[in-house]
Amino acid sequence: MTYYIFTLVFFLFDYFILAMGLNIQYGITGILNFAYIGFVAVGAYVTGVAAMPANTVGQHYILGLGLPFPFNLLLGGFAAMGLSVLIALITLRRLRTDYLAIVLVSLSLVFYDFCNNYVSLFNGADGLYNVPEPFAKTLGLGSNNFIVFFACLTGVVSLIMWFVMSRVMRAPLGRTFRAVRDDAVTAAALGKNTFWMQMKAMMIGSFFAGIGGGLLIQFGGSFNPTAWLPAETFVVFAVLIVGGAGNNIGMFVGALLVETLLIHLPAFLPEIPGHPGLIEYIDTVIVGVVLMVMLWFRPQGIVPARLRKTASFGVDERLDEEAGELDRTTALAGVGTRAEATR
Amino acid sequence: MPALHTEGVTAGYGKTPIITDISVDAEVGRVTTIIGPNGAGKSTFAKALVGILKPMAGRILVNDVDVTRMPGHEIPRHGLAYVPQNDNVFKRMSVRENLEIGGFVHKGDSSARIAELFEIFPDLGKAHTKKAGLLSGGQQNLLAIARALMAKPSVIVLDEPTAGLSPAYTSVVWEQVARIATLNTAVVVVEQNVERALKHSDYVHIFVAGRDHVHGTAADISQLDLPSIFLGRSHAASTT
Repeated sequence: MTYYIFTLVFFLFDYFILAMGLNIQYGITGILNFAYIGFVAVGAYVTGVAAMPANTVGQHYILGLGLPFPFNLLLGGFAAMGLSVLIALITLRRLRTDYLAIVLVSLSLVFYDFCNNYVSLFNGADGLYNVPEPFAKTLGLGSNNFIVFFACLTGVVSLIMWFVMSRVMRAPLGRTFRAVRDDAVTAAALGKNTFWMQMKAMMIGSFFAGIGGGLLIQFGGSFNPTAWLPAETFVVFAVLIVGGAGNNIGMFVGALLVETLLIHLPAFLPEIPGHPGLIEYIDTVIVGVVLMVMLWFRPQGIVPARLRKTASFGVDERLDEEAGELDRTTALAGVGTRAEATR
Repeated sequence: MPALHTEGVTAGYGKTPIITDISVDAEVGRVTTIIGPNGAGKSTFAKALVGILKPMAGRILVNDVDVTRMPGHEIPRHGLAYVPQNDNVFKRMSVRENLEIGGFVHKGDSSARIAELFEIFPDLGKAHTKKAGLLSGGQQNLLAIARALMAKPSVIVLDEPTAGLSPAYTSVVWEQVARIATLNTAVVVVEQNVERALKHSDYVHIFVAGRDHVHGTAADISQLDLPSIFLGRSHAASTT
């Protein structure tokens, strides 16, 4: 029972981190990053190979640095960030909205096939396994104890990252990200370097993706291409949309509802007699239905983005009813992200 | 010296020029308006001024600084502000946040400047916590103008600030445009409404088919056969 509960707790905190990363890119800056899971994978793989020894029988991989936690995790985060710089340089200068999304999903597929087939990189389709468990030997943790320990550690990491992300979103930088999301042309006319702003959002979000991925491989001890099928990106999008794009608390609520309760909890439920595997595979259908219902009836998500506190007026006004109507319009008509395309 | 000076500007999309050899001066304290029929290149000229389009030929000087080849996001630092036509506010941000984001040029607290602008635009002051997307079209245009004024620009370019507004709100916007000119600012307005433009402007350029067909004071331009010019039947010479 402890194993089940703390596995769910781990996925809650890990997807909270992943959703915050996607939130800064899509919810705050408007970058439709359909390659998000690719950055998660880079973080996972690099964290793994950074922790593993130089040689492991039956596995082929680069690096093999044998770094202790959390240095290997940070390396995974920075590797994902580095990849995001490269991808942003290729895509963000000339592409926006739907076209950017198409190119990103294509790059994600290319990267997926590359990792799957180039065995020397991250052991190909078999992926990495027997990745050292952080602090397990030092603390003398058994496998069940390790899960409890690591779920709690992930909770601490997610709190730190939530604190950092909240500071970013409240800072003028976060406001500029939102301006770029709403209208890049107008933001540029106000002196904002929109390319550089989008690049920053990509870097921050990808670092979060890398850390989330790194925690995944450290928790499970293995990671292979079946763990990051390109469609997995849309699970993180579902977390974001259900929780409420633009709001970090919404990311936690989305991770709780979508990732923990809808995707992972059913795997622990008893089988339905005569329908083996049904529960395990029906989760995707349920997530799809929930997503459609949310987009139709509450597009701003369960915890909508709040208007920022205004210093001199001391106002923190939440205009749920009106804001919901506006968000419905923007969600359905694409106002904001497509404003420049109409010019 | 005019705050904005353009010399022989030619610009367009791809390799096709839309405007050719345009020379316009805008001086502080004066409203300079560009009018003309649809497709005359008025908005293209505005976009060239603010760096959205790079001119194929000619020069653009703001406060005697050549900004012709400058990236669009660097031009506002030299004193030129731009208010695009339609969809010109950050809809999901509050009125106050919209204004704060316009005050980036000057570091430090922008509250004092915001308070000044709320005196000029009292409607915005009343709605300062509202999402900008929930304002009326006219209020949104005023917010976009106020946001551009946050940086105390010496030149402000307004691209059809009254497009789609009711006659009542059109008057409000034009009154504010005239008032802005008194705030030590050169105002350049791209406008479709000829009657309003002539009433509130000091100097007028009429663009036809991508060229500066005729220009002069509003009083002089009022004397011309404008319907013929707009319909392409007249070849009036410059009144200057």
